[in-house]
Amino acid sequence: MVGERGGVLLTMLVAAAACSGDGREPLTIYSPHDRALLVTMEKAFEAANTDVDVRWLDMGSQEVLDRLRFERPNPVADVWFGGPTTIFDRGVREDVLAPYRPAWAASVDSQGIGAGDMYYPVYRTPAVIAFNTDLVARDSAPRDWDDVLAPAWHDRVLIRDPVASGTMRAIWGFVIMRSMTAPGDTAGGMAWLRRLDGQTRTYALNPAILDQKLARGEGAVTLWDLPDILIAQSKGMPFDYQFPSSGTVVIDDAIALVRGSDHVAAAKRFIDFVGSIEGQGLAAERHWRLPARRDLPLDQVPDWVARVEREMVTAPMNWTMLAAEGAGWMRYWDQRVRGTGRAAP
Amino acid sequence: MRRVLQLFLLLVLAWIVVEPLAIVGVESVRRDGAWTLDAVRAFAVEPNEWRAAWNSTWLAALSVITGTMIGVPLALVTRLAGFPGRRVVSALLALPAVLPPLVGVVAFLFLYGESGVFSRGIMALTGSEVAPWRFEGGGAVLLIHATTMYVYPYLLVRAALATFDTSLIEAATALGAGRVRTMRTIVLPLLRPAIGNGALLIALTSLASFSAPYVFGGGFRVLPTQLITTRLNGDVSVAMVETLVLVALALFCLGAATRLGGPGVRGAGKGLAPAPAASRKGWRRSLTAVGVAAITVWLLLPHLALLGVSFVAPGAWTRTALPTAWTGGNYVALIAEPERWRPFGTSLWMAGLAAAAAAVLALLVAVAARDPRHRLSRGLEVALGLPWAVPGTVYAIALATMFSVTQPAAGRFILIGTLWLLPLAYLVRALPIIGRAVVAAIRALDPAYDEAAAALGAGRWRTFRTITLPLLMPALAGATALGFVTGLGDFMTSVILYTYDTRPVSLEILGAIRQGELGIAAAYGVVITLLSTAAFVLAERSRGAA
Repeated sequence: MVGERGGVLLTMLVAAAACSGDGREPLTIYSPHDRALLVTMEKAFEAANTDVDVRWLDMGSQEVLDRLRFERPNPVADVWFGGPTTIFDRGVREDVLAPYRPAWAASVDSQGIGAGDMYYPVYRTPAVIAFNTDLVARDSAPRDWDDVLAPAWHDRVLIRDPVASGTMRAIWGFVIMRSMTAPGDTAGGMAWLRRLDGQTRTYALNPAILDQKLARGEGAVTLWDLPDILIAQSKGMPFDYQFPSSGTVVIDDAIALVRGSDHVAAAKRFIDFVGSIEGQGLAAERHWRLPARRDLPLDQVPDWVARVEREMVTAPMNWTMLAAEGAGWMRYWDQRVRGTGRAAP
Repeated sequence: MRRVLQLFLLLVLAWIVVEPLAIVGVESVRRDGAWTLDAVRAFAVEPNEWRAAWNSTWLAALSVITGTMIGVPLALVTRLAGFPGRRVVSALLALPAVLPPLVGVVAFLFLYGESGVFSRGIMALTGSEVAPWRFEGGGAVLLIHATTMYVYPYLLVRAALATFDTSLIEAATALGAGRVRTMRTIVLPLLRPAIGNGALLIALTSLASFSAPYVFGGGFRVLPTQLITTRLNGDVSVAMVETLVLVALALFCLGAATRLGGPGVRGAGKGLAPAPAASRKGWRRSLTAVGVAAITVWLLLPHLALLGVSFVAPGAWTRTALPTAWTGGNYVALIAEPERWRPFGTSLWMAGLAAAAAAVLALLVAVAARDPRHRLSRGLEVALGLPWAVPGTVYAIALATMFSVTQPAAGRFILIGTLWLLPLAYLVRALPIIGRAVVAAIRALDPAYDEAAAALGAGRWRTFRTITLPLLMPALAGATALGFVTGLGDFMTSVILYTYDTRPVSLEILGAIRQGELGIAAAYGVVITLLSTAAFVLAERSRGAA
């Protein structure tokens, strides 16, 4: 049996687990961002705010929403940091957010701001066409969305499962909306997606598996977001990217105060810090995040940001329509389009 | 006295097992205070939903058949046949019980995936540029299920054989029955409860299996993946209908197993556990040894792949059959960074506490439900098995919902966001594993022992302490170890219920995978495997002591 010794050990472990505070004010952050970015923000913020202990939990943005919903009766988190604005909108509908207008509110584009100051954009996430540089020369890589449908890429396209990904949902929405000739007419967009399905080797269920499959050459080309490709590249993955020449989707990545937070003042300070010139600069320099602020001094941003601003063509997007129709589109795609491209002529 | 215990236990199980599910179930057919069947309709008219349900069904059936066909013979051979290396092989074969979540499945990608070791090896041998296969779809998922889930019948049959009455075999042999006949008429009927429970565990695990179809399913839909897709799409009530279909399938399995398993056949209760019969012929021993070793290596390949990945430098295993560079850096990172090793302590205390509490509860239920003909016994048994019939995610949501309100009369308190919800979830998840094994074990005990003890004047408590408990120890220790290990590696409930202070190792693995640090994730997996193995070894030793 476990015996007495086991019992003592358990008690000690429980005790050790229960007393982990050190007198600083704990500030809990739920975030889908990568850990390196979170560590940087934690360290930099704590250095300037010695009375606060930043505790982050990293998870998918859908999970952040689920958790905040469950925890509504006893909120644990103080800040929701990261995720496309479409999912923050669902958070607003679920009543899990509280309004706050950050100190830098005037420096970001107004289209990414939640109604009633419910959330604010801090980074911009452009979608790109990415490819494995061991298999594809830069010159022969697809230059625009339609190029991905060329015979050369048949069975060589990898796609991150679009249902589970905010980035992919935005791309799908963009494809559907750009070919709309009349309101509610999704036929053209779905036909395009069906052809893409015919090109697709496999749907990768999460970004890490997408990275692995692309690096291991199971496919050559994918549609994915710029920061993830740049991060993978910096880790030695043989990846490169191309901005679609006709314009790309740029997703606003937001931050918000959680309703019912016990540490509102510290949470507001943290939000102010993430959008400060220092916070934006750190994220861009070390973690490949494209700042949402448009007033950063040029000598404060790294070269790659300047290059992206030069090369990137932002396509117009109707985010309101995506928020309203997106779920229906995705359901239709999942039930009627996925897996049907190969049979189609 | 027994009646009081039964009622008390029913109340406890109703509180922590049934009530959370009932709350969620009712919420699924209520919208804005009115009853509605819209979600049921949405499910019923969609052919893909039916396909997912059908896929889940046949996948579970085939997983049971293949897993049992691997697990039971291995248990018999490693217990009954004498061959060199038997002890080591027996222990190694239990390892897939501790294949860590997520990263364990990723290990299959490195093995059998189209860019895995085998595929790349064949490509190198044949000089081909095209991968010989795609590891995708129902077949791939079935292979993963069969080669990991066989451990349930394997472990349960081994445990049953440990208390097996060999005098029956001796009698059969003395009466002139051949090996096959003895096996068919004596051994297998006596093992029926163990095999039935093993098959049930496979069926239920397969129904709830998420990682394997998630990673390797491709277009192959099963209910658990469909559920996540639906939930991600915001159709919460349709997701709830899918859940109910899944639970119904699982309950059907539970019912079938209870019926098939029945009271079982009882031995006369004399004699000792069978000693392995050393085969007289040397070549036969060697052949058995080689055969079992080969199967063991095959079944352990995912663990070897995991071990391999844990020593691979980032980016050094992409376009070649084997890695191009090795490193110990992943393990150094685990030791050097406190935030990386702290989750081990968290997982250990939560899984340990939960398994210990579940063992006590399971033991009480076993005593109360010993007589299978009693109606309350059956009620206890069903409540005990219920958590396994429900996918981890659903249970987590149910517990989160139940314990987010203060209603002391309904037994509801705010536990969400505290330290205690996750250990409670582990306890509930460990209950069916420990409970069913202990119930099966107590029913296999010969009542003659109790009668003898009573005739000799021993009281109830004394009989339990000196006769029943020691006889149950092998099953209890083994099952508690399995329950502990389940908590240690749990992912599906943890991902919903963890807090900053209760962040377990599986979440660290997920974090590492999300970061693309597969080496670190694999190193976590290896350490979890070692810790789990240690738990099994401890259980085995206490079994020896008993």
